[in-house]
Amino acid sequence: MNETVNLCRRCVLHSAMPGVNIDHESGLCQFCRDPSEISPQERIEAHKDMDALLHHTRGSGQFDVIYALSGGKDSSYGLYRIKQEHPDLRIRAILFDNGFISPQAIRNARTICDVAGAEFLRLTVQEEFLNRAFRNAAQSHDVYPDAARLRASDICNTCISIVKQKLMEAAVVSGAPHIMFAFTPGQTRSPVIRLSPAFMRWSRSLFEAQLKKMGIADDDEIFLLKKDVIGREEQNGARYMIHPLLAWDYDESTILRILGDIGWVPPGLRDKNSTNCLLNSFTIFNHIQKYGFHPYACEIAGLVRCGTMSREDGLEKLKSGVSIPLVKDIAEKLALSPEFAP
Amino acid sequence: MTDVTDELMEFLRTKSFLDDTVLLDTTDSLTERGIIDSIGLIEFVDFIQDRYAIEIPGEYLTPENFDTLNGITNLISQLSK
Repeated sequence: MNETVNLCRRCVLHSAMPGVNIDHESGLCQFCRDPSEISPQERIEAHKDMDALLHHTRGSGQFDVIYALSGGKDSSYGLYRIKQEHPDLRIRAILFDNGFISPQAIRNARTICDVAGAEFLRLTVQEEFLNRAFRNAAQSHDVYPDAARLRASDICNTCISIVKQKLMEAAVVSGAPHIMFAFTPGQTRSPVIRLSPAFMRWSRSLFEAQLKKMGIADDDEIFLLKKDVIGREEQNGARYMIHPLLAWDYDESTILRILGDIGWVPPGLRDKNSTNCLLNSFTIFNHIQKYGFHPYACEIAGLVRCGTMSREDGLEKLKSGVSIPLVKDIAEKLALSPEFAP
Repeated sequence: MTDVTDELMEFLRTKSFLDDTVLLDTTDSLTERGIIDSIGLIEFVDFIQDRYAIEIPGEYLTPENFDTLNGITNLISQLSK
């Protein structure tokens, strides 16, 4: 790749990625020419809005918040900090165990729940059914729209979609008005999203179509938000999906330092882009093999644009290799044919 | 195309991954064409609410209203009255 022509001068996106346009004159991609990442002022406003929302809207049942906890650094920090700021919130933290979460990440999740004072729930689904979804996602090329494929790998899109569906379901069932995801400022630009029943229905139908496209008929609604639960939601009104990391300063080294002080232990996955999931190396390898670009490029570009990561560090992360033994191991566990391994 | 449709198209070209070379019809499905995913949709809703100073009620967030440029333009017109 000719860096001066193809790589954005400010972030880490390059013109070989579909939909990325590098302006020849400025050398900037379309996102850097007109950045729309959350600004420091918007972050302060988002923090106030989030505090007000959490203060005024409490659960009608056992919980106020259903929290997506992976045991990785971002979600662990998010849970700890939200309980520091709102100690009276009743939080159920759900760890979706996709069968590839590292044992240390699970220990970390339990530790953070103990320290923060949140209820821990480990959610599992039938292993073979889930592995079939991951296998089919790895083999697919057209299940997810370009926009989703630019944000994450096909396997990660599948996994996160399941988590979203099941957490929305858990919120409705338990009467919790808020769902929290520790997405970084590079992953989304919206700190708070209103989840109307219509949006939940649409989100479910989009994911159902994607599952069908990869040959998965989820008749028992193992992955999908249950239809009868959405029916119940019609009577109760809207809920909110909150991304607390967008309301705070995001700095990876500070997060790791704070986590270290409260007993979170780095899992040592030989993977610079994940602190919880053993699938990650494989998903990166698979994505680059299929599409020719790194699945973390957009997120890292967003963090660089926000000023929370230097361009050099971002480029370094993208250049860091994956663990080949781990990739081979995962390909074998997913029963993928040899061409899917290095 | 109307001014609103032009502005929506401009948003998609500058804030999403809609390639300059891709021709988009105002009746094309934005999700089926792969132009927006669920997160992109939320960002699009945020942009529209800010830009046109309207609040889009949750029940309006349906594929009929929100999956094509025509549908969104009509919705903005309806909610701006």
